[in-house]
Amino acid sequence: WDLLGLEIDMNRKKDKGFETPLFLNVLTCYVMFIPHTTHQVVCINNINFQRKSVIGFVELTIFPTVVNLNRIKLNSKQCRIYRVRVNDLEAPFIYNDPTLEVCHHESKQRNLNYFSSAYTAAVSAVDPDAGHGELVIKVPSELWKQGDEMNVLKVYIEFSLDQPKGGLHFVVPDVEGSMAERGAHVFSFGYQNSTRFWFPCVDSYSELCTWKLEFTVDASMVAVSCGDLVETVYTHDMRKKTFHYVLPIPTAASNISLSVGPFEILVEPYMHEVTHFCLPQLLPLLKHSMSYLHEIFEFYEEILTCRYPYSCFKTVFVDEAYVQVSSYASMSIFSTNLLHSAMIIDQTPLTRQCLAQALAQQFFGCFISRMSWADEWVLKGISGYIYGLYLKKTFGVNQYRHWIKEELDKMVEYELKMGGVLLHPTFGGGKDKDNPTPHLHFSIKHPHTLSWKYYKMFQCKAHLVMRLIENRISMEFMLQVFNKLLSLASTASSQKYQSHMWSQMLVSTHSFLKSISNVSGKDIGPLIKQWVDQSAVVKFFGSFAFNRKRNVLELEIRQDYTSSGTQKYVGPIKVTVQELDGSFNHTLQIEENSLKHDIPCHSKSRRNKKKKIPLMNGEEVDMDLSAMDADSPLLWIRIDPDMSILRKVEFEQADFMWQYQLRYERDVVAQEESILALEKFPTPASRLALTDILEQDQCFYKVRQGACFCLAKIANSMMSTWTGPPAMKSLFTRMFCCKSCPNIVKTNTFISFQSYFLQKTMPVAMAQLRDIQNLCPKDVLNFILDLIKYNDNRKNKFSDNYYRAELIDALTNSLTPAISISNEVRTVDNLNGDVRLILEEITRSLNMEKLLPSYRNTITVSCLRAIRMLQKNGHIPSDPSLFKSYAEYGHFVDVRVAALEAVVDYTRGMHRTSPSEVSRTHPIPYVVHKILSMLGKNPPFTKAAESPLCNEALVDQLWKLMNSGTSHDWRLRCDAVNLYYTLFGLTRPSCLPLPELGLVLNLKEKKAVLNPTIKPEQGPDTTEMTVSSVSMSSGVAPPPQGLKRKLDSVVGPLGSSSPEPGQVLQEEDTSKKFKIRVRISSEDEIDMESPHDSQAFIHHHLNILERPSTPGQHPVKHPALIILLSDNLEPPAVDQAVLSLPVTPLPSSFGKESTSSSKHSGDHHHHHHHHEHKKKKKKKHKHKHKHKHESKDKERDSHAFSNSPASGRSARSPSMSD
Amino acid sequence: MADPAVMAGGFTFRGGKATSSPAENYQLARRRTLQVVVSSLLTECGFESAEKAAVESLTEMIQRYISEVGRCAKAYCEHTARITPTLSDTVVTLIEMGFNVNTLPVYAKRSQRMVITAPPVTNAPVIPKALIAGQKRTHPSHIPSHFPEFPDPHTYIKTPTFREPVSDYQVVREKAASQRRDVERALTRFMAKTGETQSLFKDDITAFPLIAARPSSIPYLSALLPSELELQTLEETDSSEQDDQTDSENTPGNNLNDDPGADKENSMLPPGGVVPSVKASEENMIDNPYLRPVKKPKVRRKK
Repeated sequence: WDLLGLEIDMNRKKDKGFETPLFLNVLTCYVMFIPHTTHQVVCINNINFQRKSVIGFVELTIFPTVVNLNRIKLNSKQCRIYRVRVNDLEAPFIYNDPTLEVCHHESKQRNLNYFSSAYTAAVSAVDPDAGHGELVIKVPSELWKQGDEMNVLKVYIEFSLDQPKGGLHFVVPDVEGSMAERGAHVFSFGYQNSTRFWFPCVDSYSELCTWKLEFTVDASMVAVSCGDLVETVYTHDMRKKTFHYVLPIPTAASNISLSVGPFEILVEPYMHEVTHFCLPQLLPLLKHSMSYLHEIFEFYEEILTCRYPYSCFKTVFVDEAYVQVSSYASMSIFSTNLLHSAMIIDQTPLTRQCLAQALAQQFFGCFISRMSWADEWVLKGISGYIYGLYLKKTFGVNQYRHWIKEELDKMVEYELKMGGVLLHPTFGGGKDKDNPTPHLHFSIKHPHTLSWKYYKMFQCKAHLVMRLIENRISMEFMLQVFNKLLSLASTASSQKYQSHMWSQMLVSTHSFLKSISNVSGKDIGPLIKQWVDQSAVVKFFGSFAFNRKRNVLELEIRQDYTSSGTQKYVGPIKVTVQELDGSFNHTLQIEENSLKHDIPCHSKSRRNKKKKIPLMNGEEVDMDLSAMDADSPLLWIRIDPDMSILRKVEFEQADFMWQYQLRYERDVVAQEESILALEKFPTPASRLALTDILEQDQCFYKVRQGACFCLAKIANSMMSTWTGPPAMKSLFTRMFCCKSCPNIVKTNTFISFQSYFLQKTMPVAMAQLRDIQNLCPKDVLNFILDLIKYNDNRKNKFSDNYYRAELIDALTNSLTPAISISNEVRTVDNLNGDVRLILEEITRSLNMEKLLPSYRNTITVSCLRAIRMLQKNGHIPSDPSLFKSYAEYGHFVDVRVAALEAVVDYTRGMHRTSPSEVSRTHPIPYVVHKILSMLGKNPPFTKAAESPLCNEALVDQLWKLMNSGTSHDWRLRCDAVNLYYTLFGLTRPSCLPLPELGLVLNLKEKKAVLNPTIKPEQGPDTTEMTVSSVSMSSGVAPPPQGLKRKLDSVVGPLGSSSPEPGQVLQEEDTSKKFKIRVRISSEDEIDMESPHDSQAFIHHHLNILERPSTPGQHPVKHPALIILLSDNLEPPAVDQAVLSLPVTPLPSSFGKESTSSSKHSGDHHHHHHHHEHKKKKKKKHKHKHKHKHESKDKERDSHAFSNSPASGRSARSPSMSD
Repeated sequence: MADPAVMAGGFTFRGGKATSSPAENYQLARRRTLQVVVSSLLTECGFESAEKAAVESLTEMIQRYISEVGRCAKAYCEHTARITPTLSDTVVTLIEMGFNVNTLPVYAKRSQRMVITAPPVTNAPVIPKALIAGQKRTHPSHIPSHFPEFPDPHTYIKTPTFREPVSDYQVVREKAASQRRDVERALTRFMAKTGETQSLFKDDITAFPLIAARPSSIPYLSALLPSELELQTLEETDSSEQDDQTDSENTPGNNLNDDPGADKENSMLPPGGVVPSVKASEENMIDNPYLRPVKKPKVRRKK
């Protein structure tokens, strides 16, 4: 049915494919149709907090751009659809979501290559940008003819959501009282376009329409949504009220959001059209945190010379937020944890930055949307760039430059590690042939297949590239371009719907570049080609020599463009040389084969003339030149000082040059670079330079913080020659201690924030000092303990919670590994004296937190880290139970994350997964995301290393998680994919049993063969046997340990209670051919019993996995933590003799068994058949194939039910549309 | 044993009862004299010997009798507002006790009476000195001098102490720090003892007890809101912000529990966030859809 509508909105398609005429051609041939939605009504008339359900309807006004419109495709996930009517006529519909379960018959394929391509295909199959959707509605034939007259169609869909796992998040605290008193609230969330999770729509950023939104909520609640609140009306029983919103500005469905709760309302005092909402009791915090917002508004409106596009703006602060900031049309949803009182120092800039980000995205991201996914970088780039301008204005140039350097370093590091980040991917006509990013284990074709980290770096790169464009065309032009985009969009937005006008509100790479060239008249083609159309960064190595005779600086700049994530750079590069006579900029041309560049020096070397030295900024300073080389006039050299290339520079210059650079260069980036370089020069001169910087209160505080840590490192390297008190101690005493009694710190005032930050950092850095025994010096430890003891905050108007937390961090830093007496159990008695003191402080602080909790529980977080460090260093017994209790639902989210981090670390350290009882963890998307990413960052094992954890059960669980367990959250699924990649790599995990090995070897064929796994399943008897034995004989057998483990895990859960002799499977190894013999004990009849038990096993697994969705079950299992659960399933000590036999018993035994049932295979008979036997006998035998089969049947049934109960039809294949 | 050396001389001849206290010695000496009296009376009556227990009983009786006479005499004298008993007091007492006073002179002058020696001189027991701090006040002119003296001034006026208050900065800080630490430690120990705990060690669960982590149903409240202690500090350090705080305490929840009847009130109320200075002038100008009254449903539809 896609064979219609050639000229549907070609304008749009042209823009998308502007780079690739080939693609365009394909498009015109590949017929599809996209009718335009012009207006949509969303009405949610019941929100039940108790049951966590939502009932409502939507009505889309569709403008058919083609004649004979007979099918309409919409996006919808999770929703239960009751009826669909088109122009008041009942319409049949089909609901099919291929992303629910990515790989069918997943029992065989366990490699990521396969998964990734299947996942990409699934996402493509419902991609709204390509006119696809999960919900296909057949237009009643009565209406077909109307197409000629191009009458609008009204599609009316009734739907409900029951315990949604994605899209909407319910927060219902478990306390007494009404829902409003309990602070229950609900809000929409999601990564990229995720609106389809909570109502049917065309979930695309490029599909704009006007909106009417109605929400009926309890009278004690407020519903905040996009657009203008027109009126609020009571229902007839006066117990509920309906909020009517109208959004006349064309907006993409993906930018629609909702939050409902008993919010407290605050009208912005300076701008009455701005309203803030927070949860009960937090109003004082809201007032303080928002007191700054109007300045951000003013700033953006001024630089963009454009008014804020919407007529109102709402901020909502919710608990358990998905991300800190998410922006939607005319409203933003924030995490409630951003709120703070006037006493909090550290959170203040962070919250303001979040507000500024949200507001920047209102202009670019919400009001101006994107044409296609490939144009995302423009929006992210512009919003990131203007946010940067705000940073520069509010927090100063130093902070801005520091931030740019930080972002650049972060991005460069990621690209060098993972391969490049591509801003503007273009996909050729071929399906998967030319993947622009073969180095990645995921596809970048869709936002939903991206790894979260990659997306972060993508945003980072986007704004850095915008800055590069600014460098090229000047900021003035840049802002003019933005203004042009905005004014075009706002003109378009006020128009009535016409086929092409609204597309002015969508930005594409093409239109953006066109505006740039129109406004500036400059060609930025090469720049775009280098950084936007191409991934990777540049890596420079620089060194120099001074030629005294010619008075020339011979600079050599080499590049590494062969390793992953790097590219070759050709073009100009700026080099700044500070000489005795001043600072000089040189622009060199990097060309193909030229490495050396001669730079003439301006000044002769001179030593004894006393003259001030002019710096770059015109300042003239006195320098002590005794350290420098007598023959050279060079003080220091910098390559690309303005960061106008996305690069990493490794530059070699003498230590005194770095020291001069640190002391006298005024650019914070240069100072930070020299601090980093000085780590390699542990000399008294470096020490002096660093100490001088520390003492200079005009220096940027972050540079000084960096200097602290560098000084600690240098001190450790200079240990034997170090004189005087421990590094920084006397400095700290002078700065922060009482004049009369130098061992006591002054009472806190924190009036000067610079010194506050320094005061926080110094002890942490000092604790890194080590003496000759590699211990933290006693002096330093006592000093830190005294700081804690004498800390006095009574006279301070600021909270000292961050300071105290950092003092605990300092204690943590001071820990060193315990002197290990082999296998000694750690007891209280053999606790080291110093450690006892530390432990006492930690326990007291942690206990005090229960009585007087600190802001964001920072101290608890630090204490948990400290305890983990004590465990890790062997001072106290390693035990995750404490962390598990803190990881439970009901603790502050920061505490939970810290505790989970410790559990993850424990898992790695002990090479044993913890028998996790964190099962009560409530599925908060953010926390699950954190767990998965922490596991990815600190994996219990990797593909390279052997680990007892690497077993089939784990592979199963993780596979299940990413295949079907995370279909409700794109981000989570990608996290699971990432973790799978970290643990097992792209290919089939080595711990899996052999049968499919033969298939694994045919990696390339797999893509061609649609479903290679069907084969072994259909012919389960002898073929599989041969496959396995063949592959074994070819010598690609996995390490025997893998087998052992596999068996172990298979037998484990069942056999642990009673290992039976009947299970002993023996193997004889004759010239690498495996013959498998199953010895059956007298009481054992394998054939009939094994399926039953395997069913029980699967039940068990399903229970674990499915519990979150089970209605009525309150304490919900966390899918991610099941991973941690896995060793529960491992038998403590099963007879090694039984297990150590390398076997491939399952397929073979299965083969035999299933011959008995294979007659029934293909239909559901055997399923019922086995059910009858189920209660007869309990046997311990694993029947793998059967599990999969049955479980799938079960899943299928349940899905079919939940997906479309009304239609009664369920199609599950992604390729159903042909 | 305050001053045994002083008393030692008086006792040695009594058989070295140096261990007993001076008051005891004094009483023993008196009692011995009484025994002698009883014995001589017995001899006078014609007894040749007597059992020790009998003598002892008689001694007890006579002692009681004399004590009672003394006590009563004192009572009589105090009754008449004097402090020293006179002869008549004693006479009245004797009469009261049923003794024929007239027989006394005859009995005293009987011929066969025996003369006994005076009891040995022992030092009267030292009454422990009351603490004297400061000068006792003398009686004012209207009070006769025989009236009891004023007690020591500290018992009813004040106690002057003469120790220097500690003003050394270091000591003050030291003290504040250790006091706070002690309080915190005691408090947390107490909480740990009385509630559930978690332990870091398996062998000794009482070492370093940690108050068990208890999930709360709304964890963000305690994590975000400043504690009372902090609020207090804030009030002390900054009075201007104090106003702000109290101001805000009144406003939350304006728009929260608006039951149908209360809307009009709500719409009149200024929103919480209005800056005080702006409040007065712009109160009526704020037009925010969220502050508008909720409309009543149209009745027509219902019918």
